[in-house]
Amino acid sequence: MRKAQRLLRNRDDAVDIVHALFVDLIPKWSPDVDLPYLYRAVTNRCLNALRDHATRARLLAQQGDAAAPLGRVRLEDEVVGSALIATLAQRLDEGHFEVLIARFVDDMTQDEIAVQLGLSRKTIGKRLDRIRDEVVALRAEAAS
Amino acid sequence: MSATCVDTPISWLRLEQHAIVRDPDVDAHLATCEACRACLDAIRADGIVLPALPALPAPAPKKRAWWTWAAPALALAGAAAIAIVVLRPRPRDEHGEDVARVKGVGEVIVDVVRERGGAIAESARTFRPGDRWKVVVTCPPDARASLEVEVHDPHGIDRPLPPAQLPCGNRVVVPGAFEITGRDPNRVCVRVASPAGGADGVACVTVSPE
Repeated sequence: MRKAQRLLRNRDDAVDIVHALFVDLIPKWSPDVDLPYLYRAVTNRCLNALRDHATRARLLAQQGDAAAPLGRVRLEDEVVGSALIATLAQRLDEGHFEVLIARFVDDMTQDEIAVQLGLSRKTIGKRLDRIRDEVVALRAEAAS
Repeated sequence: MSATCVDTPISWLRLEQHAIVRDPDVDAHLATCEACRACLDAIRADGIVLPALPALPAPAPKKRAWWTWAAPALALAGAAAIAIVVLRPRPRDEHGEDVARVKGVGEVIVDVVRERGGAIAESARTFRPGDRWKVVVTCPPDARASLEVEVHDPHGIDRPLPPAQLPCGNRVVVPGAFEITGRDPNRVCVRVASPAGGADGVACVTVSPE
């Protein structure tokens, strides 16, 4: 739930996400469900919430209530907050978005992301480059 | 709180795992990194317990709409009707056991004619002492059939007529006549075979005492 809260910056939505996840998981519970699995499942559900326009607008309006990110890992010298995540959610596909969250919200290294997502480190590097390009493009659009 | 990690930050996932099971590598990093130590402290201080979901009243059993049971019932009835049509035992013919189908001859229908005191009764099914009986067969006109008449009663089988080979036709009379006696029903059967050989067939009619 801490992860959902970090991502959504809203406790109530995080509770809803985790409740819904466990409601789905409990009937088919297996000992294979571990913390990394739950992390990924929560990420996907948060992504769906962020992609929903109505939810995104509400989260952005409420983000002042949420705890400020600790921001140990920055993207182009920018702490990845709700506004940036919500904007990138509309510009990146699911694969790139998962990498974005793992790197800049969960503060994972590229090796950890590769293990978590079952991809090569090279692929993770390429996706991070694409994410950075997207952020640069966003800044350019904002400047113009 | 400083947000700058001294080295590579420990991911939140590793910190969560470290909060459950201590990891010496993480401990070593935390000893020198205030930012990551703050994150772990945040995890430990958080102690989130998911709020319990409100207890929901058990839904009252709904009265089923008529169509919820009518639809399966109709489907079941339809399936049963199809099963009856498809699986019903096929009658050998409209006449019952008085028909035999013989390879090389075709369909053979057996009937009997009773003569009583000069009166002829077609398809009679009762007998008295003194009645005389003849057997007639109907089979496809372009065929020939080998015939042997058998009369079955509870005491055994009697063959009152010599075997005959006849051209088929409509109600062809088997040569000869015989009497039926006793107090039990008798079955008058004709064993039919093709003169060319092959499996024979049997067709019978039952006559009962009056």
